[in-house]
Amino acid sequence: MENIKLIINFLGQLLPAINITLIVSVSSIVLGSLLGLGLAAAKQSQSIILRVLSSIYVSVIRATPSIIMIFVVYYGMPLLFSGWLHINIEGWNRMYFVIIALTLLFSAPVSEIMRSAYESISKGQMEAGLMVGMTPFQTFYRILLPQAFVVALPNFANSAINLLKEGALTFTIGVVDMVAKAQMIVANNSGGYAWQTYCALALIYWVISLAIDKGVTLVEKSYQAKRKTIAA
Amino acid sequence: MSLNTDFMVKVAQTAIQGVPVTLQIVLVALLISLPVGCLFALIRIYRVKGLEQIVKLYVSFVRGTPIIAQILIVYSAFPSLLNMIIGKAAFSINPIYYAYIVFTLNSIATLTEVFRSALQTVDKGQMEAGLMVGMQPRQTFWRIILPQALISALPNITNATLYLIKNSSLAFIMSVKDITAIAKTEAAFNYNFLEAYLVVWIYYLIICYSAEVIFYLLERYFSKFRRSTKKTNLFNWRPLSIKQPEVRAEADLTESERTNHAQNRGLKKRL
Repeated sequence: MENIKLIINFLGQLLPAINITLIVSVSSIVLGSLLGLGLAAAKQSQSIILRVLSSIYVSVIRATPSIIMIFVVYYGMPLLFSGWLHINIEGWNRMYFVIIALTLLFSAPVSEIMRSAYESISKGQMEAGLMVGMTPFQTFYRILLPQAFVVALPNFANSAINLLKEGALTFTIGVVDMVAKAQMIVANNSGGYAWQTYCALALIYWVISLAIDKGVTLVEKSYQAKRKTIAA
Repeated sequence: MSLNTDFMVKVAQTAIQGVPVTLQIVLVALLISLPVGCLFALIRIYRVKGLEQIVKLYVSFVRGTPIIAQILIVYSAFPSLLNMIIGKAAFSINPIYYAYIVFTLNSIATLTEVFRSALQTVDKGQMEAGLMVGMQPRQTFWRIILPQALISALPNITNATLYLIKNSSLAFIMSVKDITAIAKTEAAFNYNFLEAYLVVWIYYLIICYSAEVIFYLLERYFSKFRRSTKKTNLFNWRPLSIKQPEVRAEADLTESERTNHAQNRGLKKRL
């Protein structure tokens, strides 16, 4: 009972730091999806160079540990910018470096998800759309995209949860997010109540990922209900 | 902008001592979690009362929390727990054992899901046919079901192994002397962090690619009977065309549909 009381107490202390975690995750999900879309388009393109480059990028990113990526971006980008563009970015908010690193990490799986979702849709759909006189863009937007969206959704949510978990490494370069906050609390208690604090931390992450999971299941169900009505 | 190449060579030489440690963590975690994951998957499939709920909760917890939180929990809770049992000796345990515990617990959860989906792909008729010809249920499972399930599980096991290798770079938080930890201490002398991490990055790329090649060979060996006749050339050569195995959207197409797709794509290009 004592432990549970402590955990609830620590929950209250940790929760204010949640906004850093959310800002980092949401902005890298948005930016990473855009980059992933570009990559997926590059993989579909006619040019061999683009195709090879994007597949090399994806396979390299896939084999990169997230912590190494964060460190390389954090220490490498200022050097790159001052060497090539003569801009000093050392003073940037450290959150930007994390967002860039996570964007790079997120874009690779997302590009694969988008590509496989796009390819899972029968080519006849595109042809039928063109046949009835829609423009290629209209066909893509009205016919292909809604179908591909449903296919991609579970995998996309899975990657988003992974990203959220990788975002917990933000503290390694000195951003005060929930993990850093938890470590501070432990330090303040001179190392006492460590596991209760970290359990509170884990609980918060667990709730967020369960919420994402449930939300996606609901959306999927609503889409399937629509599908059934059409079939009947 | 210039990199200190002498330092990079030096880090490359010292950090290589960390490679066995990383591999050790990965191997121990994999070897323990493969059978346990399989067992947990069976518990979930056969809905063993009581145990099923526990496994479900465990998998959901491990998959829903960052590995860093798991590391911190285990690393802070276990020493004091052991202290109660074996006394002061608990604090002199090599931290690599904590790394084994964390990464094993973590990959058990991933592999449970992998095996669950793999075992469900095997048709129920296979079990019935096995029982029909007079095999014991256990025999049928070992000889008929498991070999087939393994084939469909292998790409996902590869994926889980890659995650494990990548996550093992976090062992430095538990003061395990793995590749990352060695590079970090080397870099701290002269603040050459970028050079050190670039070297580490290359090491991880090499390790991940070798793991991928090994699993690719395994997969080819186990799926001899359904191998396609596609020839390897520069563009579908494995390292260039590595896909994310967790994405299985195309997999629900039938074989004929897939060839249809390929033909359509070829047609589109010619047009």
